[in-house]
Amino acid sequence: MIAVTGIGWLNHKEYGLAIGKIKKPHEGIDSLYSRFKHESYFLYPVKNFSRFDIISKMTCFCAALALKDAGILYSGDQKKEIGIFGTNETGCLESNLDYFRDYIESGRILARGNLFIYTLPSIPMAEAAIHFGLSGPLLHIAFNDGKISSLLSFAGKSIMEGETPSILAVKAEEASAVCFMLQKGDSVSAGKGLYLDNVIALSDKSNFEEMITSLTGSFDLLPDNPNKN
Amino acid sequence: MIKAVAVACDMVTPYGWGIDPCWKGLMSGITAIRRIDRFSTVNLHTDNAATVPGLKAVKNKSLIMQMLTPLLSKIVPGIPEETFVILATTTGEIEILERFVLNKKSEAKKSLPGNLLDKIITLAGTDGKGMVISAACASSSAALSKAASMIRSRELDCVLMVACDCVSEFVTAGFSSLMALDRDKAKPFDKNRQGLSLGEAAGYMLLMSDERADREHRSVIGEIAGWGLTNDANHITGPSKDGIGLSMAILNALESAGVSENEIGSISAHGTGTIYNDSMEMRAIKKIFGQRPVPVYSVKGGTGHTMGAAGLLETIISFCSLDKKVVPPTVNLRDIDREAEGWVSSGQQSFESPVTLSTNSGFGGVNSALVLKKALKKAEEIL
Repeated sequence: MIAVTGIGWLNHKEYGLAIGKIKKPHEGIDSLYSRFKHESYFLYPVKNFSRFDIISKMTCFCAALALKDAGILYSGDQKKEIGIFGTNETGCLESNLDYFRDYIESGRILARGNLFIYTLPSIPMAEAAIHFGLSGPLLHIAFNDGKISSLLSFAGKSIMEGETPSILAVKAEEASAVCFMLQKGDSVSAGKGLYLDNVIALSDKSNFEEMITSLTGSFDLLPDNPNKN
Repeated sequence: MIKAVAVACDMVTPYGWGIDPCWKGLMSGITAIRRIDRFSTVNLHTDNAATVPGLKAVKNKSLIMQMLTPLLSKIVPGIPEETFVILATTTGEIEILERFVLNKKSEAKKSLPGNLLDKIITLAGTDGKGMVISAACASSSAALSKAASMIRSRELDCVLMVACDCVSEFVTAGFSSLMALDRDKAKPFDKNRQGLSLGEAAGYMLLMSDERADREHRSVIGEIAGWGLTNDANHITGPSKDGIGLSMAILNALESAGVSENEIGSISAHGTGTIYNDSMEMRAIKKIFGQRPVPVYSVKGGTGHTMGAAGLLETIISFCSLDKKVVPPTVNLRDIDREAEGWVSSGQQSFESPVTLSTNSGFGGVNSALVLKKALKKAEEIL
């Protein structure tokens, strides 16, 4: 059985932990980095954070929140066998445009490596993997139904197949992001997680705020021994 | 246990259309890396890349679709309608975005790989289910591992994996800015290697459960027997120098396949020709295989680095090598690096085992390893 042990989310005005039922306002994405350091969501500085593209920043913010919600401490030096799967609606389109416009504006003389790096859709997950020390599988997946439930189901199956014991499943857009910490049920303490199937059922709301409200609402916590199910 | 087997495959590479020209080209030791004539290279770090002969940028059809359309059209009758499609690519139809920025033609959104997936599904005539997997230069080996995983778990019994990437000004200028390109031609595992050469390719592999393949009397090319995916979590463009991430992927793949390292007869390495990648790979390989030298080779001195298509191209070549019990020369290798001595060769190397390993790594620290097994019955008409 797979449990969801942490859910972190943020949009242009708030961020929160769904299982911990914490919701806080903020004054814009640009103000969040120092706030996350102050509140220990980032346990140490995120290297090169100011150079990240917006999807990478959103990915790191919501991954930090999901890990906090799951009660998982992390260290870049002591890697954990956690995978990270990401999806979003437009991949790295904006970063592709930023990089290529910059190159054309230079007279096709000088491309900038710092912009080119973000033209791979898997790079936001890689930035998170480096900071949080995630050594499991890393993929960007675009499902043609575009649903978060497809990502959660895909990640759950990867755990069931024994490919990794846990996965952060992220959907990060420019204006909002949500991240789910998925773990094998037998590695979760009683009452600390949610049934993956329940989370999947609530994850496909058309509106981000509606989805977060549903996820933060009341639903069944894991029983004393999740393996019985 | 259900096995995930390849029942059809084809590709176009810088050596030309089909598997045979690529295999023969690599075996000849002659590189397909040539002068780029598609865009100006005046301000770039190199004039060379491995491009598909005859492929030209035209307005109405992307380079990618020029490669995929003939390949897929040939096998449409053999693709079951309910087949799940996985597309592996890093940049897909990136020329659409280039044209948008340069001329405001078309829409930038049309360059998204999701749109390319829709075109492939239409071309293949399947019923619409699919996904795009992107894991930098390990995209297609990661996609093959997910396809095999979905088959082995009985979630699906037929998957079409399509992989593609093309040589574009967009990508060449980017790699040039990172100083990752060899000014001349990539020389994997050579003491004097300076970087990679970009390449382009497209191809597909139709995978089925062995039960279904047997039921439908399909020729079996080989089995995707095991897989491992890991991340270095170390650096955004450089590999972890100690090779621990890749060695973990190899160990996971061996475990997944239920084989020991002693059963591996040969290794298709990622072997890009960059100083750090090739060194990291030899360290990872030696961690697992110790002092027992296994024939190791890289195709990228011949085909160039075909990015998101590399894993598929190398898996197909690995199946050829299993069939013929020989690995191709590492093209452009002249003066072997000390770390690779006794493992990599500029000549062909023979081996006996019916099991081989293929590895890929990419930006962001991604690593993949696939354990591939020879088909019990020879599929002469395919390979």
